[in-house]
Amino acid sequence: MLLVHVTLLPLFFAAGCAAIAPEGSVAPKPGAAATQPAAPPAASTPQPVPSAAASPIAPRAAPQAENKAATPGTKTPAAAAKPPAATAPASTVAKPGPHPAAATTTPVAPPALDLAALKEQLKETKAIGVFTKITLKNQVDDLLQQFRDYYQGKAKVTMAQLRRSYDLLLMKVLSLLQDADQKLAAAIVSSREAIWGLLADPKKFATLEG
Amino acid sequence: MINRTTAFAQTLFVAAFFVVPSFAADDAALKKDMTSVIALQGLPCGQVVAVKVNAENDYACSCKDGNKYRVYMNAAGRVVVEKQK
Repeated sequence: MLLVHVTLLPLFFAAGCAAIAPEGSVAPKPGAAATQPAAPPAASTPQPVPSAAASPIAPRAAPQAENKAATPGTKTPAAAAKPPAATAPASTVAKPGPHPAAATTTPVAPPALDLAALKEQLKETKAIGVFTKITLKNQVDDLLQQFRDYYQGKAKVTMAQLRRSYDLLLMKVLSLLQDADQKLAAAIVSSREAIWGLLADPKKFATLEG
Repeated sequence: MINRTTAFAQTLFVAAFFVVPSFAADDAALKKDMTSVIALQGLPCGQVVAVKVNAENDYACSCKDGNKYRVYMNAAGRVVVEKQK
């Protein structure tokens, strides 16, 4: 009996610790969640991006495939983006001789931008601590405010300066993610130009705001 | 009675080996979080080596380079980093 007591109790303690330890970051405090302002409008309305704003950097198939099932409303772009991305290299090397029609029937689909999924993944990732996430969100809100002022003619910043701020902010996010959550970092890199396309176009930005 | 007391003491002793590392992991995560926050504000720090909890969402951080900061969340939900003397 004594032996059982001595061996089992530590195991219960250990089980309790095991539930806490994997958090990997500061436990989200109720106060923090309560005081955190609403989500930035930029991330709340996922929009398909036209081909003009398409990302020339990387294929979208891999990042899109990682979208979670928690965002079912935004899954369709991912499913649509995957097959064309897989066939894209084939279309570029398609032989025009024997099957000229084949090359024309496999157009390269514009990569879909899934802002809602990205936002959800950023919220869920354990690579960034709670306070760091709130700080980043503050900085995203600041940048959106700069864009708002720019389009309303209030700000004296130029579009080039806004682009620099955008690049810098993205670099901060990527530097935090690239070691601990490489998949999310890759997803953000591949969405970089598409997101900029939304921000840099006054009409698209207005739809984000609304 | 003595046997039970001994068993309880042994249990506590063994449990301590499991509990301490979990606190250490939380502490390391908090330091890393604070390091990132200070760096994101563009303030010199290097690495946070000690964090003291002043209150909920209010921390006093000591950096490797000797700088000290108070990191807290204000009423507007913004994270503020204040340099301390």
